[in-house]
Amino acid sequence: MERRGLEYVVLNQGNAQLTELYRSQIGDWPKFFKMDTLSKAGFVATELLLKKLGERRCGSEEFIQSRAIVLFGSTASLCADRNYQETIQNKDDYYPSPALFVYTLPNIVTGEIAIRNHWRGESSFYVLVAPDAAQMAFHLACAFQDSVTESILAGWVDSRNNDDFQVFMTLIRKEDAADTDWLAGQLQLIINDLNK
Amino acid sequence: MEELILKLKQEIIEVLNLEDIKPEDIDNDAPLFGEGLGLDSIDALELIVLMEKNYGIKLQDPAKGKEIFKSINVMADYIQKNRTR
Repeated sequence: MERRGLEYVVLNQGNAQLTELYRSQIGDWPKFFKMDTLSKAGFVATELLLKKLGERRCGSEEFIQSRAIVLFGSTASLCADRNYQETIQNKDDYYPSPALFVYTLPNIVTGEIAIRNHWRGESSFYVLVAPDAAQMAFHLACAFQDSVTESILAGWVDSRNNDDFQVFMTLIRKEDAADTDWLAGQLQLIINDLNK
Repeated sequence: MEELILKLKQEIIEVLNLEDIKPEDIDNDAPLFGEGLGLDSIDALELIVLMEKNYGIKLQDPAKGKEIFKSINVMADYIQKNRTR
């Protein structure tokens, strides 16, 4: 029997698309408006993916411990870094913004998603030069080597400026990662879609 | 005072990105933190920056913010008495 491909969500149409999707499809998490573009993109793509999969928000204690988040990107938090830099650029108008500063780490997006979903598994953000299916499959397979992780929210989240981002989000189950060639092939199909 | 309260509400909405809230939605006596607007500790830091940037008030003791940010009325009253710009 042929194996079913990974379900995924791809978004790359700019910040207005994120706000529109938030308002039309989500709407119950006002903190969305405080997030940087990287977190907004990761958050919205995750929400849409979970909707597509029909997954309930809160599972058992065992479930929330077993759900990990492993994301990849190339520019990390550069976009948020630049936004924050603007608040400290001028010594005569020097007012560092705490709200911008908190996003100057790429793994904040994993935290935003984990908080929203109450997931308490491992979380990581890897910086790669470009989406690389084989490398991503390798890291995902490694993440299943502990005794807890049963599924991983995985994706590429990258934000070059406030209105230019690329994100895909998918869900990998332990059995998917057992065959890393198959997993890399699936990720490559998603990456092809992302780059369209 | 009414003018200051309205301006303060507009500034808070802008600086804290309270996207779906209008000045008239904010009760002058409602707590800003906890129930009220549901603000968090990062928002408190942003309000401290707002007071310094827009009104020249430098809070030496951030813990004082708890009292000052009790409500819009309390905050506006503190600003009116202590502002340098």
